[in-house]
Amino acid sequence: MPQKLVVDLAALEQRFHSLSWKLHPDRFARASEDERQLSLDLTSQLNDAYRTLRDPVARVEYLLSLSGMRKEGQKKQQAPPELLEEVFELNESLDELRETRATGGSAAQMTGLRAKLESAQHKFESALAGVDQELAGVSAEWDAALDASADESARNKLMERMNEVLNRRSYIRNLVNGVRQELAET
Amino acid sequence: MPRTVGIDLGTTYSLIAYQDKREGRPKCIPGPYGTPLCPSVVSVDADGSIIVGQAAQRRLLTQPERTIYSVKRLMGRGPADVRDELKIFPFRIDPASKNVIRVRLGERVFTPPEISAFILRELKMWAEEYFQDSVGRAVITVPAYFNDAQRQATRDAGRLSGLEVLRLVNEPTAAALAYGLHEQKRGLVAVYDFGGGTFDISVLKLISTSDGDIYQVLSTNGDTHLGGDDIDNALQSIAREEIRGLGVDLAAHPDVVQELRKALITAKHELSDVDETTIKFPLPDGGVYFREISRGEYERWIRPIVDRTMGPVRQALADAKLAPAEIEEVVLVGGSTRVPLVRQTVEQFFGRRPHAELNPDEVVALGAAVQADILEGGVNDMLLLDVTPLSLGIETMGGVVAKIIPRNSTVPASAQELFTTGVENQTGIDIHVLQGERELAKDCRSLARFQLKVPPGPAGLARIEVKFLIDASGILQVSASDLRAGTEHSIEVQPTYGLDDAEVERMLEESIEFAEQDFSERQLIEARNEAESVLHLTEKALAREQAEASGELSEEERRAIEGAMAAVREALAGTDYKQVRAFADVLNQASTPLAERMMNRALGAALEGKKLGEV
Repeated sequence: MPQKLVVDLAALEQRFHSLSWKLHPDRFARASEDERQLSLDLTSQLNDAYRTLRDPVARVEYLLSLSGMRKEGQKKQQAPPELLEEVFELNESLDELRETRATGGSAAQMTGLRAKLESAQHKFESALAGVDQELAGVSAEWDAALDASADESARNKLMERMNEVLNRRSYIRNLVNGVRQELAET
Repeated sequence: MPRTVGIDLGTTYSLIAYQDKREGRPKCIPGPYGTPLCPSVVSVDADGSIIVGQAAQRRLLTQPERTIYSVKRLMGRGPADVRDELKIFPFRIDPASKNVIRVRLGERVFTPPEISAFILRELKMWAEEYFQDSVGRAVITVPAYFNDAQRQATRDAGRLSGLEVLRLVNEPTAAALAYGLHEQKRGLVAVYDFGGGTFDISVLKLISTSDGDIYQVLSTNGDTHLGGDDIDNALQSIAREEIRGLGVDLAAHPDVVQELRKALITAKHELSDVDETTIKFPLPDGGVYFREISRGEYERWIRPIVDRTMGPVRQALADAKLAPAEIEEVVLVGGSTRVPLVRQTVEQFFGRRPHAELNPDEVVALGAAVQADILEGGVNDMLLLDVTPLSLGIETMGGVVAKIIPRNSTVPASAQELFTTGVENQTGIDIHVLQGERELAKDCRSLARFQLKVPPGPAGLARIEVKFLIDASGILQVSASDLRAGTEHSIEVQPTYGLDDAEVERMLEESIEFAEQDFSERQLIEARNEAESVLHLTEKALAREQAEASGELSEEERRAIEGAMAAVREALAGTDYKQVRAFADVLNQASTPLAERMMNRALGAALEGKKLGEV
């Protein structure tokens, strides 16, 4: 399989289904112990592969892990400079929120803080969408480079860019999750 | 060849079903009372014999300290987990319980898997009586949101009952299988499964391929402690509070508490069909708790419980990346979906009328039977692709959880992790496996701990690869290999909550003493007990009528009752359980008007001299 990053999801799903028919443990429930174990191992590999390939972010992470550039569990986070001011504001709102909660603030205070958090959530969600678009852009460039049989240094450059985008993405995603959780608890 | 069946091991009721090859469709197997619903109630008699189902349910009223219901709530849980439930449920937990709960029933102590095994064994007997053949293998259903420990406990129960458990299947998925087969539907389907003790929501895609139909679960969510039980408990706390207001505390009367629970459940069922119901409940002090409940008031009480189902519904849709309007069919499963407020809430959310053509009590067992037949090679043009409901993770530095298999991954799913030593001459690497969505280990469910043993050497020299595999039943398997030596690395995984293999083995040996009594012999014992209690109650009512209200009964009625009593006594001398049961039913019907009249007299006496506002 070529290591392309733009994937036809319908074709991928079809392939996943037809391999599932061939490999799934349900088809080998009455087979020998060895066959059942093999079916279990192969199906889990198939499912793991499908899980990775159907998700554009996991796909890039996997490509980078193949080249050793991005190790599982050692994901770096990188704060995008243009968001620093907003992150600063968010942290202030969060401190304020916790204090208001602890001292039992008024309903009006809580509503105001909620509105601030919601606006922060909105900003970070659109930043996340922006990063995702950026990743899709680099992914398309990668495929074009493969088609053009680009040399190793050109490919490495693209991979470094992807790595940088992923680091930013994981920082923003943590922000989004954090705000979401705070809002759910408010 | 021994038969293969599908079993729905429910909180309130359990059912057993099989695939009828001739008709090409699944069917539920009726028990000795003619219904396929076996109450999930177990009672231990003073002579040590085990009573399950309808007969045990009656003993909830007469011998509550020997009888247990809703044991599913305890499966795979530790004593600390159930502290809150003990305030409401009359579970008698043995103080010696450590990682596994032990429940006291009369003189004996059992773990939840052993109690569930009694229910499974009862169902197995129903099926063997029905087939006149032995039953060997089974597919058992579990709530989709059950974690690893709860699944293992269910599998242990199967093993203890003498069944080979082919597979655990998620309840909403089983329902979708039965439903899809019935309706020949394709597309995006949401299954809303609100049962006696658990709530699940699953989003599925039903696809036709050239090989056959695929039922692919896209996402699942739920709450394993949310169900009709919670509605009963809400009603009960309101009623008990009001009864306390009448100057009666029921805490000292466990039997009356069970009677009250039964009366409230009846009221709940009525409020699904009518707009108003009345409770007339005799109290131990001779008074009566008289209460009218309107549908509106009832719905105000239970709305918070129904609303709790909607959080998981929203999460499941978000995980499947779908909006409510994109769902093409909504299927209702579980007895609690009979509650009109539940139907309205679901209909409003999805903007479409949910399906409830199939009996919501039976559909899960029917789906389990279909899956059992798929595994036996019967049906070969259907394939289920299910997911794991919870993320699997391992604890890392600072108590943070690293997720290695995300929730909603299609199972079987696996992850490999490489471990090494951090300091020189370290001889073991401790691994802690957890399930859940939270960031910190303390907020997730601990599944197991184990240690990788390594020979002393410089830091970072050892290289042990651990493979975590979630199988098609949603149960975790762990294996390890030493990459430097190129050998398998043996590990001993100690479950945090649950029985280890040695304990299951020991229980299997012990369970021989409960060796299956002959089915009809056991039925005869139960029918005799039942008939004797009806006789006894009738005698009491007759005596009371003589003493307090002579002449209340017409000569004709008296003759009918006495005739029925004689017939029961005669049947009791014989050995045909069907005969005993039939005449007991006749007597029960003949004496019901008398019982009602005696009840109304008591009620009238209690109401006398009191204004309506006071009662």
